[in-house]
Amino acid sequence: MGWAAIRAYTILVYLFMFLPVVVVVLLSFNQNQFGSFPMTGVSLRWFEALWNNDAVMRAFRTSLVLGLLTALISTTLGVLASLALVRYTMRGKNLITTILIAPILVPEVVLAVALLLFLNWLGIGKSFALLLAGHVIFTLPFVILVVQARLVSIRRDVEEAALSLGASPIQTFFSVTLPLLMPAVAAGALFAFTISFDDITGTLFWKPGGVETVPTQIFSMLRNSISPEINALGTVMIVITVGLPLLGAAIARQISIKRGI
Amino acid sequence: MDNTKRYERLLERYRNGDLDRRSFLGLIGAAGVAYGVQTPFAKMAFAQDVTQVRFDGWGGVVSEAFRRHAFDPYTAATGITVVDGTFSGGDEYLAQVRSSQEGEYNIAHLSGVFDYARYVNFGLDVELNLDNIPNMELVMDALTNAFRGITPDHLSAVPYNYGTTGLAYNRAYISDEEIREKGASILIDPEYQGKIGGWSDWRTRLWYAALQTGQSPNDIQDMEAAWDAIRTHRDLALKYWGSGAELMSLLAEEEIYVTEGWSGRIAALQEQGHDIGYYDAPNSFGWQECLFVIKGSPVEACEELLNFMLAPETSIAVAEGQNYPPALDGTKVDLGEKIPTLPAYDPTGTLESLTFADPVYWNGNEAEWSETFARVQRGF
Amino acid sequence: MSVEAREKRQPWILLSPALVAVTLLLLVPLLFIVVYSFWLRSAVGPDIQGFHPDNWQRALTDPFYRYILLNTLKIAAITTFFCALLGYPAAYFITRSSGNKLILLLLLMLPFWISYIIRTMSWINILGSSGALNTLLISTGVTSSPIQMLYNEATVILGLVHFLLPFMVLNIYVSLDGIDTNLEDAATSLGATRWQAFSQVTLPLSLPGLAAGGLLCFVLGAGTYITPLILGGPRDAMFANLVFEAIITQLNWPMGSALSLLLLLVLGALVAIYNRFLGMSQLTKGLG
Repeated sequence: MGWAAIRAYTILVYLFMFLPVVVVVLLSFNQNQFGSFPMTGVSLRWFEALWNNDAVMRAFRTSLVLGLLTALISTTLGVLASLALVRYTMRGKNLITTILIAPILVPEVVLAVALLLFLNWLGIGKSFALLLAGHVIFTLPFVILVVQARLVSIRRDVEEAALSLGASPIQTFFSVTLPLLMPAVAAGALFAFTISFDDITGTLFWKPGGVETVPTQIFSMLRNSISPEINALGTVMIVITVGLPLLGAAIARQISIKRGI
Repeated sequence: MDNTKRYERLLERYRNGDLDRRSFLGLIGAAGVAYGVQTPFAKMAFAQDVTQVRFDGWGGVVSEAFRRHAFDPYTAATGITVVDGTFSGGDEYLAQVRSSQEGEYNIAHLSGVFDYARYVNFGLDVELNLDNIPNMELVMDALTNAFRGITPDHLSAVPYNYGTTGLAYNRAYISDEEIREKGASILIDPEYQGKIGGWSDWRTRLWYAALQTGQSPNDIQDMEAAWDAIRTHRDLALKYWGSGAELMSLLAEEEIYVTEGWSGRIAALQEQGHDIGYYDAPNSFGWQECLFVIKGSPVEACEELLNFMLAPETSIAVAEGQNYPPALDGTKVDLGEKIPTLPAYDPTGTLESLTFADPVYWNGNEAEWSETFARVQRGF
Repeated sequence: MSVEAREKRQPWILLSPALVAVTLLLLVPLLFIVVYSFWLRSAVGPDIQGFHPDNWQRALTDPFYRYILLNTLKIAAITTFFCALLGYPAAYFITRSSGNKLILLLLLMLPFWISYIIRTMSWINILGSSGALNTLLISTGVTSSPIQMLYNEATVILGLVHFLLPFMVLNIYVSLDGIDTNLEDAATSLGATRWQAFSQVTLPLSLPGLAAGGLLCFVLGAGTYITPLILGGPRDAMFANLVFEAIITQLNWPMGSALSLLLLLVLGALVAIYNRFLGMSQLTKGLG
């Protein structure tokens, strides 16, 4: 397969991934509630409604905080565990690996109810901490899988060279291993954040009263009808996630050009 | 009841002319003495006293209307905050309540009589003192009586709203005459193969199967015929919908032409200008929703909140938001202009035109039928 | 403390936070489910405690559960296949492209910023009777009346592929990115064609990522219930739907526990096979 063919193929794959995004973004500007094509008119009313919808905005903030905390904790735990699994020999490694990725093997409904039953037995009520713990548990396997795959391919002798030159294991980790591991750490954190941000089932069961995340807010809208405000929120998210990295890249380029002069 | 509230009640009765001036002042004095005596103990009691009540409901417009008309005034009057939770379905909520600790959940906006019976069966009911809920006077007896059939000597819930699950059809393809002529059987009419929808709820499927096989929904004799009707419908149907949002989009985007549907959702579609008809065939599925107080809750605080929620302005605002008529009796309360136009609305206050499910019959067979339906749905 | 003892303790120190969390929040709660699966549901009131193999007997012998389980595995396998088919070349492109890889990866995660339910429901706006595709087909005269494309097994798979593809791509990317490009160049300079260089050098080295992605897609695909609810027809169901119905709709927690453990056992067996043949430790040894 030639390079051009691979590029064309990849563009098609991206188009497939973007199709729903395009639809949601288009419909957020639609005049009518039910977005039949062709669209009947362009309007910003849903963005205005979104801005004034306290419940959705509150849910959005909750989701952001929850996602960031989940990513932070999950990535830390995941990187530590992956290091142990890849860099050390020990008995029962396969068993431990399986245990650590078990949370994605359990259907989420079961995980949700099981955890609730257990906490109920202990007499612990629902709280934001519980919700966070739940999210950490089922994002952890993603981090471990991604980080492990990368760690395996980082050659041990680089680390050993650092060690033999007198670096402590911790120095070696931060100055040699971690930089090489960064793509995987970033990917793992991104995974953890997005999965937490998008989770419904577990969140439904673990959220304490008065706390809503964006998905549970949408879920509770299902009974009546999902307002296009949610499409507008999707559009805002897309603009933020596409816009910020692009902006960052542009600034970085500016800086490097200036330095070049 | 705390003393501030007692004083407010007295003041209100005095203003309404229920009490003369002298007994009012006398009672105030008595209340003052009681207050003085009670306070040292009351303070200790307050440490574990009610500071919040949790309400769980459908969110969205309903939640907003409650917040504005009931929760905020309630908090202002009692100092008790209302924590507002949402759920997406009664089944999921019951699973949560069952796996929670007593007192964690307080009041829930549940699907009327079925859930009432289920919660009572699980021992999750309380005994409400209706004297603390004066607005119950305005509620239709027909709705309350359904609950008394399950708990004859007490109530654990107040009725809140009602509606029907009738036939919804796209008038561009199906005429009003045709729907009246065919009734529920239009859902198993091969002519509309691939353009039929239905709710994935086993009770609704069985109810309509009973209508399609000419049986009484509250006393199905030939179960096999009913299951067969469900099989026929399953094979003709494009989609089982699972939420109001899906129901509305399927009809609005002409994915399907006919389905049974929730009256309030169809009213919302009509409001938006979609040409969707709604028809309650004879024995159409009537239902009600209630505000249920769950075991372990601070009952008095809940009673007072229920009273705020039942107040006509709250009831009407919620009803106009979700398009289901309130439980209030239209002959006793002025329900405004919009509510009398809602589908399923009964101006007589008797609800005799609606057929409700017999909870004893349906809940008695729930275990078997819900499992059988899960199989039948997948082709077994 | 001897150096050796410290060396031995270190991995456990690194592992303990994750292990404690998983044990406390997953394994112990799962034991509850195991106990529960031997209880019996009673029509009224609390479940009957004790040791009753009835649920297990039904779960294992009833052809209904077997049929849905096999169908679930089939759907998950097809989904995984398509994810690999679409995902590998894309991941390869991202790794070897000269552009900003991070942005390309971020773009792939873009759909996740739109809630899962909305994203899944948006296929209705694309494939529905009045959806974008039918509108396009009618306006270009390909067809005169809308084609019914929605609500069947194919749309369920489509929804799942869309949901799971980023997991596949990211996993493959991570392992491809760790492969020294010089290896492929070296192979070509020694006379291999580009295809040979790829298939004999890069592809084998990227297998851990492909396998990890495949496992992830399969397991997550087999555990979904919302996608079939939204994009499937009346008959379409996956095993997790049965678990959900047993626990939530029928309130039959004992049966739901047995069913979910059954699903867990099947998927667990798969992971065991994965570990046996492609396990991380095996690969570490191979590369060392």
